[in-house]
Amino acid sequence: MAISTARLPGTLTGQPRRSGLARWLGPDYRLGLLFVLPIVVLVLALVAYPFGYAVYLSMTRKYVGLPPVFVGLENYVKLTGDGFFRRAVQNSFVFTFGSVAVKLVIGMGMALLLNSHLRFRSFWTGVLLIPWVAPTVVSALNFLWIFDYSLGVLNYLLVRVLHVLPQGVGWLSEPGTAMASVIGVNIWRGFPFFGISFLAGLKSIPAELYEAAAVDGAGALQRFRHVTLPGLKNILIIVVLLSTIWTFNDFQIVYILTKGGPGGTTQVLPVFTYEMAFGAQRLGEAIAVALYMLPAMAAVIIVLARYMRRGRRA
Amino acid sequence: MRAPAARGRLGSAATYAFLLGLLLIVVFPFYWMTVTSLKSEDQMRSLVSMFWPSPMVLDNYRQLLGRTDFVAWFGNSAVVAVSSTLLATAIGTIGAYALARLRFLGRAFMSSAVLITYLVPPAILFIPLYAQIRMLGLADSRAGLIVTYPSFTVPFVTWLLMGYFESIPEELEESAMIDGATRFGAFWRIILPLAAPGVMAAALYAFTQAWNEFLYALVFITDVKLRTLPVGLSTFITGDVYGWGYLMAGAVLTTLPVIAAYIYLQKYMVEGLTAGSVKG
Repeated sequence: MAISTARLPGTLTGQPRRSGLARWLGPDYRLGLLFVLPIVVLVLALVAYPFGYAVYLSMTRKYVGLPPVFVGLENYVKLTGDGFFRRAVQNSFVFTFGSVAVKLVIGMGMALLLNSHLRFRSFWTGVLLIPWVAPTVVSALNFLWIFDYSLGVLNYLLVRVLHVLPQGVGWLSEPGTAMASVIGVNIWRGFPFFGISFLAGLKSIPAELYEAAAVDGAGALQRFRHVTLPGLKNILIIVVLLSTIWTFNDFQIVYILTKGGPGGTTQVLPVFTYEMAFGAQRLGEAIAVALYMLPAMAAVIIVLARYMRRGRRA
Repeated sequence: MRAPAARGRLGSAATYAFLLGLLLIVVFPFYWMTVTSLKSEDQMRSLVSMFWPSPMVLDNYRQLLGRTDFVAWFGNSAVVAVSSTLLATAIGTIGAYALARLRFLGRAFMSSAVLITYLVPPAILFIPLYAQIRMLGLADSRAGLIVTYPSFTVPFVTWLLMGYFESIPEELEESAMIDGATRFGAFWRIILPLAAPGVMAAALYAFTQAWNEFLYALVFITDVKLRTLPVGLSTFITGDVYGWGYLMAGAVLTTLPVIAAYIYLQKYMVEGLTAGSVKG
């Protein structure tokens, strides 16, 4: 093989003598750089460059088909005072924290139950994971149909079968219920990820800890507080932060269910960005919308990356 | 443990009740989609035979396959998802091996870059990527999607497999190399076969991510015939009753490949899911 380096690791043979350059590049540099090269190209071309270009475009006035005109931070300043933008920011936070909080609770319940003595455990696990693997668009369309005002099955059940409502509700078309409905769909899709990750974490907590706690007279709640929660801490933080990023940037569910309506009550930032770019054709401002939250998001990403690396090394 | 048997039985009854409730909520939308796809327009409009179609009809499927572009979209999705998955799995597998095992300049930096890239949301990149794709003449083509999907599948595959490679004992390669294998030979003949289940899980996830992708496909493709399934399906939203029948038929056929793969390979996917974010 032409690309072989055919060197034994230093731990086995003692560090072989090498020229300064080879030592600087590392013992496996030939195969290493060759294997990593495609990723380097990909990250530069598809992530780093577009990202840099996005930062530049956000500081321009840019319309489709016309060259960009540099305007500095004007787009950001304008957005700060823009009522539609501020509402989208607020909605994004409600959407994100509402979803993540409920997913956390349901996911924890799912994990604790799946970790208890249970018949057909792999069946339950398998079925409960389905919303996570099914295409999101399909799920969103299913709920669009379930929530339909006149022919949807939810209103049918509540009005004609269970008789709990005198008449149907426009789940997605009334300002009072639209946000709760899109949050509900996001929870439906996302809770299995919490559940299955917590389950993996629960399995790694040594049984002796629970036995010791029980010997010391700790009740179920105390065991949960003092053994389970500390044992899950890392996974808990990782899953919550991951889900926060994903939920904050969720485009499909809101786009398909409400497109931000009715009257902007479910308008979240990704949909706002899309509509400004491809509806209003104002690209510079659209990218400024997408990047406005970047400092906060970058902080989350850096903390999360640190925890994910630590989780790997543990 | 110390609780009396009656309480234990009550507790397990509550457990099964909770799980059953969750199960109903999870399964119902798929049941409802299937039932809807088998109803006639009359049944839907007059709210009869709500929960079981009678008679069961295949009109919606006939309409979907015969009079819409569904078949073309299915083909587009298949071509895009399979090609971008092969590309991403190949790039991600060798990259993950290098980052997990080989010692060379820039390895730590690239490991961080991969992780950060995995976490960067597509909502930030879709506009500049669209500009890039247009510049390269790849707008409105399947190739444009095939080359851009690895921007999210490769970091995921790489991160997942780095963990997998790290869990394989290093001594296996070392002894292979003492026996005269090259570094590449040790990777190719010893490590890669051992990592096959991980590679499989990673590829499956890359496939479902590509199959489900919506935003790039919505933005990069304007030609109706070149749409992928998720975007194509969403254009069926018309609000009238007739639309719902073939829309749900399309939803059934879009879900089938993913669920079939999932049922068949559930073990790998459950493991892969947790390995992607946390140590399993």
